[in-house]
Amino acid sequence: MKPDHPFLARLWPRSLQGQLLLGIALAVLLAQGISAALLWRAQVERREAALIHTAAIRIVTASREAAEEQIERRRPGSRLLAAARQLRIERLDASPLRPGDVREHEAEEELAEILTNQGMEITSAVVVHRPLGDDPRLAGKLARQAAMMGEHGRPQPDHLLVAAVEQKAGGWLLVRVPVPKGDPAIMASFIGQTLLLFALLVGAIALIVGRITRPLAALTRRLERFAATRTADGQMQPEGPDDIRRLIVAHNAMEGRIAALLDEKDVMLGAIGHDLKTPLAALRVRIESVEDEGERAKMAATIEDIVRSLDDILSLARVGRPSDPREPTELSALVANIAEEFEDMGEPVSFAPSERIVVPLRTTWLRRALRNLVSNALRYGQSARITLTRENGFAVIRVEDDGPGIPDADLERMLEPFTRGDPSRNSVTGGAGLGLTLARAIAEQHGGSLRLANRQSAGGVSGLIATLMLPLG
Amino acid sequence: MPDTAPIRLLLVDDEPGLREPLAEYLSRQGFAVTQAASAAEARSILRDDVPDLVLLDIMMPGEDGLSLCRHLSEARAIPTILLTAKGEAMDRIIGLEIGADDYVVKPFEPRELVARIRSVLRRAAKGAAAPVEDELFEFEGWQLDPLKRRLTSPEGALVSISSVEFRLLMAFLEHPRQVLDRDRLLDMVQGREAHLFDRAVDNQVSRLRRKIEVDSRNPTMIQTVWGGGYMLAADVRRIKAPA
Repeated sequence: MKPDHPFLARLWPRSLQGQLLLGIALAVLLAQGISAALLWRAQVERREAALIHTAAIRIVTASREAAEEQIERRRPGSRLLAAARQLRIERLDASPLRPGDVREHEAEEELAEILTNQGMEITSAVVVHRPLGDDPRLAGKLARQAAMMGEHGRPQPDHLLVAAVEQKAGGWLLVRVPVPKGDPAIMASFIGQTLLLFALLVGAIALIVGRITRPLAALTRRLERFAATRTADGQMQPEGPDDIRRLIVAHNAMEGRIAALLDEKDVMLGAIGHDLKTPLAALRVRIESVEDEGERAKMAATIEDIVRSLDDILSLARVGRPSDPREPTELSALVANIAEEFEDMGEPVSFAPSERIVVPLRTTWLRRALRNLVSNALRYGQSARITLTRENGFAVIRVEDDGPGIPDADLERMLEPFTRGDPSRNSVTGGAGLGLTLARAIAEQHGGSLRLANRQSAGGVSGLIATLMLPLG
Repeated sequence: MPDTAPIRLLLVDDEPGLREPLAEYLSRQGFAVTQAASAAEARSILRDDVPDLVLLDIMMPGEDGLSLCRHLSEARAIPTILLTAKGEAMDRIIGLEIGADDYVVKPFEPRELVARIRSVLRRAAKGAAAPVEDELFEFEGWQLDPLKRRLTSPEGALVSISSVEFRLLMAFLEHPRQVLDRDRLLDMVQGREAHLFDRAVDNQVSRLRRKIEVDSRNPTMIQTVWGGGYMLAADVRRIKAPA
């Protein structure tokens, strides 16, 4: 489930650990978001309820004080008190609703319920929010308070809750309660909590997942190495959770078995090689007593063919599991060396001088591949031209001949074991038809490739080009 | 080698199917051949008698050929040719490191074996170039390990050279800054590929140049001396081989 969008695809983690972490992080983030929203709403509701209660208490108090008002008026300083009281409560004859006011129906019901419970008889309740500027006196008082408290005071309210009730006895009672601003510290601590929880969760999960994926990654590297070397050396110690441990143990056992089978194969091939070559050597000595020189030469050639086929088969069986390490090797000297070998046998093989290219190689194997390519060119094309160039991080060896080439449809098949170009020529040319297969296997052993292509010229196919590519690094 | 006592060979091979016809063939070629079917038997024969050369099979039950070969070269200094069924992996390494003078790969051509026997004896008679152990030649950043026949370039890359080129280079390295004429080179280098080599000293020199000169058309290391021959124009140091 990889996103199609290229940008998302780039961000999408590829590893098990990355995907698990991303998934869990997103889930935790979502859960935290929901809980934050719920908590925020609860806080808002709690504040609203507190405001309504404040308003209700003032209204109840005011209605009870109404009875005592007559006495109050006679006292000195009563005018000041009345002014102060008016800040808290106001008596009106008509509904305080103005056009544009948005009534808070839930709050109104709650207010009505509280007042009724307190024994007040009301016919309707109105609750609205109004900006602070709506009441200059209250605003002025709050500003003075804030100045006295300095910056440490509670945050300045920015609007008022205006609650009014119509008494059954007639007339409205109205109270104003300043609504404090939402406290940013609360929000900040909430975000801090969320982040801390998030970090703890994701960190803990990263540790656990790491414990699983680290041995998995090590096992993957081990598998890759085994695929390349095919030896059981340097096996992993079981680690991580039990499941992974068991996987590693099982893998080690399998590796051991594969390596043992391969060892067995090598021993068997060695034995076959030895057991066949010794009698062949005896035969080769015995034919020296054959008087007829022509006959003797034919016998010797036959033995040579058998030996060559045997060598090819044995090499092919061993090519995937070389015992010798790669060494940095000067490739142009090696190719020159092969060309000179053929030159010394009187074969028309040329090698154009080339720059020096150093490549990590198993020289005995690469010599074999080159010899096979050149022999093949000589067999079907009568002459061979070798070039060596450096192209895009590869050393490229091309062996060209002037033969009839190979039908395009058969080019791939030529690299398969036991395939030869022209079936009618088998008996003359000999060999098991493994030369090209082996050359390709050797190229692949070095991380390279072998391709065959027909050389096209004006008159059609004018020869075959075998291209052997070896990575430089 | 006519009119002298026949060359005495000890042929050690556990396989009678090969050993017997080979002994017969070599006898017909004028050698005096003693046979041994195992390393142990060979050792007991060697106690009483020192042959001119030992032909030694590598893969034998009991003590194998390599171990006997080491003994022969260390304790007895008897020239040895290994007979081996293993092919290329052995190339240049094993036989020469453990002191064998040469090796042939089974199934070998009997005439080739005879040529090798004569070539090894000829070199032994001259007391020629048994490489001093653990010594490398160094010249202009290049290194030649005579024991392993490995030439490495100043960049540390392995440079393939043929056995003729190897001996040619050895001749130059042992006589740096001396003019070596063609006859002298031929004489010093003559080995089993003598038939190839005497055809063209010049050709072999140019092949060697192709591998070690920066520009083989303007050689600086192996210089042509007019009317004389060739000269290695480089300082040669002998250094201890790293373990």
